[in-house]
Parts: sequence; structure tokens; C-alpha cells
Amino acid sequence: MNTASLAQSKNKASMGTSFRKNLPGWLLMLPSIVLFLFFVWEPLLESVRLSLYQSEGMRLVQFVGLQNYVDVFHDPDFPPAMRNTVYYTLWSLVIGFCVPMILAVLINETRGGRSLFKIGIYLPNIVPGMAMVLMWGFIFKPGNAGILNVLLSYIGIGPQPWLTNPAWTIPLIVIILTWQGAGATALLYIAGLQGIDPELYDAAIMDGAGIWKRVRYITLPNLFNLARTLLILQIISVFQILYQPLVMTNGGPNNASISIMQLVWKYAFEKYDYPKAGAVSVLISLILVVLTVAYFKLSKEKDL
Amino acid sequence: MTKKNASYGIIRDLDFKVPGVRAGYGVIYIVCVVALLVGVLPMLWVVFSGFKTIKEFVVSTNVLPATLDMDKYVGTWTHLKFGRYYLNSFASVAGSLGCAIFFNGLLGYAFSKIKPAGWKIIYGLVMAALLIPATTSIVPLFLNITRLHMNGTFLPLWLSMGANAFYVVLFKNFFDSLPNSLIEAAKLDGCSDFSIFHRIAVPLSRAIVVVIAIYAVIAAWSDFLLPYLVLNQSGHETVMVRLFQFRNGKTSDIDILRAIVFVIIPPTLLFLIFQKQITQVSVQSGIKG
Repeated sequence: MNTASLAQSKNKASMGTSFRKNLPGWLLMLPSIVLFLFFVWEPLLESVRLSLYQSEGMRLVQFVGLQNYVDVFHDPDFPPAMRNTVYYTLWSLVIGFCVPMILAVLINETRGGRSLFKIGIYLPNIVPGMAMVLMWGFIFKPGNAGILNVLLSYIGIGPQPWLTNPAWTIPLIVIILTWQGAGATALLYIAGLQGIDPELYDAAIMDGAGIWKRVRYITLPNLFNLARTLLILQIISVFQILYQPLVMTNGGPNNASISIMQLVWKYAFEKYDYPKAGAVSVLISLILVVLTVAYFKLSKEKDL
Repeated sequence: MTKKNASYGIIRDLDFKVPGVRAGYGVIYIVCVVALLVGVLPMLWVVFSGFKTIKEFVVSTNVLPATLDMDKYVGTWTHLKFGRYYLNSFASVAGSLGCAIFFNGLLGYAFSKIKPAGWKIIYGLVMAALLIPATTSIVPLFLNITRLHMNGTFLPLWLSMGANAFYVVLFKNFFDSLPNSLIEAAKLDGCSDFSIFHRIAVPLSRAIVVVIAIYAVIAAWSDFLLPYLVLNQSGHETVMVRLFQFRNGKTSDIDILRAIVFVIIPPTLLFLIFQKQITQVSVQSGIKG
């Protein structure tokens, strides 16, 4: 036997053992992989294919290229949905981004009752989305008997229209989102604050730094990376807002609060036009992928 | 970090000698109390308003109800047949819980301890799933489920919880923290991969299983979109689907309000019992993820 064939047979043997070595691992992973395929990966690709076809009910009948995208762009609901989604995101940056950070810094200063504060602000986070949306619908009830208007009447302010005022709808919905999410985010910031080395503050005090200077030069710089991560995660999640406009306002008044995800809902489950729903889904995914890549680029520059 | 250090904030004991700082601390404390109230009061308001009569709720400008009569809640419970929806939700939650732990745990374990050749490809795909939101692929998923005639059953809801990238990552991080020497020793004793998982990994991972269980229960209880698509009009509606149906129905506002209370109670109880585990995990996962 020459050396070449010896090496070959050796190679074969090692491939055999490597196969036998790896098989149990793959068998353990297989059931979960099948689930991921069915529930996550395949639907993602399928929505691209779906968006290129014309359908009759659930049957795809004809390849139409990008026609569905063209139709979606010409849908009178598309510009407001896109615009509102940007507004939701901007408002959530104005209202939702700062609140948890400030809350965290303040709670971290308290001496006593801190765990109670943490529980209290986290509690809204476990209220199921659908229940929360209905609950705030009642709280924002217009008219004299709405709870907020009752409270306002105590300080001499007349009843307000709340969600039925188109100019207020989006900011109010963002306030509700913030009510639900701020506590969980604040806990992340508190963990970040606890990670700051106390000696940094001691050194700053030695140098005569007042409280504001400590916040400016120690606290905020140390929270910067975490804040950047949470900012992008927040944008990604607000971009998909659906329940709030769907249930509280049904996108109204007069399309003032319709969101891009709600457009998917409308196409798919009100008009049963699945390919167009797929097209809007693909557009949303593309935007989110761009944001995600930007996020990774940013967070790679300085690791957490 | 020691506990003493952990309680240090920006304001130190020395600063309290300045009266302005003491006043400022008072303001900080008041703001925190207000935040606590803002978090809790809306839910208390719903619970108390549920005791109002429909007339009270629609016209009265009192914040509190005239009487605290439990019969009103009982009446709504029987009138809306809420027991049935509770049972449906329990069925959905129980299966989801089992799938969430079994499938994600297995995958997380394989990623952490077995690492068969090529595991990184699957891991990369799972991580991608973590970043690309599921809501955008809900339409094709719904079509697939319909084509397989799984509509009206809990099966797709259960199994969908078995493909949760977030839980896989939590499991993987946990198993990464288990010493490899344990596994090696068992291998030398001739244990197969599966029996190592079954006899060593599972008994050691009670802590992470509890945490994922709590997460999965709350997530399955709160889930709306997929349950609505799969179960609507099937007679197996979960409580969330029922809540959404109120939108088009003839149910009175006060009954809806009480239904909200029914829906909020289970996760709130769970949270109050396990608040330590819940808040800690949300912190760990948030920073790592």
C-alpha cells in the first residue's frame, strides 16, 4: 500500500468518527431547528416571495414582479402610515428615551425604599399589551366622567378630547408606551449605574467637583454606551407599533395615528390581500435591517 | 461588588451638609414616589372602577365607587363565561411553557456544551432571528399554519414558543457558566450526550428553568397576534383574543373594565411572587443581549 492511499483511508476513518461524534449533537438540535425553520426562518423568506406574486385567497396565481410594491406606494393610506410611524419614533425619542434614564439616576440616589420603587415602576411592564391598551382607552375617555377629566376638573380645567384630538393622538400613545416600558428600561440603567466604580466619584470629590460636575463628567459618560444600545432597540420596537393605534383609535381620527404595521394588518386581515401585506412587511424588515446594521456598526466601535 | 458600595450614588454623605442638597434630595424622593404612583395607580383605578355600576361609570364624576360589592365582578365573570377563556389560556400557557423549556433548552445546551461541527451557522441564524422582528413575518406564518390545517388548535401556539431566540441565548449563557470538567468526567464514564444532558445538565439548571418558565408563562398569557389569527372564532379563544373581540361587540364598558381586571390578575400575582427573579433577568439579558 502506498502512502497516498494510506492517508486517504485514514482520512475516511476520521470523517467517519467525526460524523459519529457530531451526529448526537445534531440530533439534539434537530427538533429545535425544525421549529425555527417553520416559525422564523421560512416565513421571513416566504414574505419576500409572497410580495412578488398575485394571489387568489391563499393561492399564489401569478408572478407580478414589483407590482405589489408599486401599488402599496400608491395606496392613499401609505404616506400617512409611513409619516405617522416616523412621528411615533420621534416622539418616543423625545418622551420615551429620557424618562427611564432620569428615573434610574433619581432612584439610584434614594436611600431607603429603593426596591419598592423598582417594583412599582416595573409593574406596568407585565400588564398584557391588549389589556393595557383597553385600560388606557378608558382612562383617556373624553367627556365629564372620564377619569382624567374628573381629575382635571379638581384643578379647574375643563374636559379634554384626549385621543379624539388628531394633534394629540400620537404623543398620547407614546406616553402610554413610555408608561409601560420605562420601568424595565430604568432597571437596566440602574444596573449600569451600579457598575460605575465608586472610587471615580471619590476622586472627583477630592478634586472639588460638585454634584452637577459629577453627573456631567462621570455618570453620563458611563451610561453612554448603554444608552446608545437602548436607543436603537427602542427605535426598532416603536417602529413596529400595532396594538395601540389598532385598538385605541383604529388608526383614526382620519388616519392621524395609522402605523405602518397597521397597514400590514389591514391588507392581510381586513382585505385578505396577502401579497401586499407581504410587500409592506418586506419594506419594514428592510428598514429595520438597516437600523440593526447601523446598531452593530456603532456598538462594535466601543464594546459594552 | 459589596452591598455598601452598591448603595453609593452621586450624592455622598458629605454633600448633605449643604442645605440646598438636602432640599434637592427631598425633591428627588418626591419624584420617585410620584413615579411609583404613576406606575401603580392606573391599575388600582381599574380595579376600583370595576366596583361601579354602569350608570356610575358613565356619568358619575366620583373617583371611587359607591360600594365595594364583589357580586359585580362575579356577575361579569359568569355573564361573559370568563372561566372558559381562562381555561383556554391555561391550556395555551401550559403547552407553551413545556415547549419553551424543552426546545430552547436543548438548543442552548447544544450550542454551549456539545458544539457539533457547524453549530456556529445555526447559532448565527438564531441570533439573526433575535434581531429581525417576528411581527413582519406573521402573514406567511399564518398562511403556513392554515395550509397545514392547524387553525383552531393550540399546537402552533405551543410550538412557536419552542423557537424563541431570546430564551436560547439565555439558556446558552447559563450552560456556558457550568464547568466543562463535569461534562468531561461524565464522558469518561461513558455517558452519551443525551444522558449527560438528562442526568447532569437538567438537574443543575433549575435556576434558569424557573426564570424562563416565568418569562414564558407571562409571554404566552399576554400574546395576542398569533392566538388571534389561529384561534379567533374557533371556540378556543384565549383571554386576550376575547378582550380584542370586545372592540366590535355589544359588551358594556363596565363589563370590559372588569374583564381587564381578570386578565391582569394572573401575571401580577406571578410578578409579585417572583419579582426578584424577573427584575434580575431583565437586567442581565438586557445588558448582554
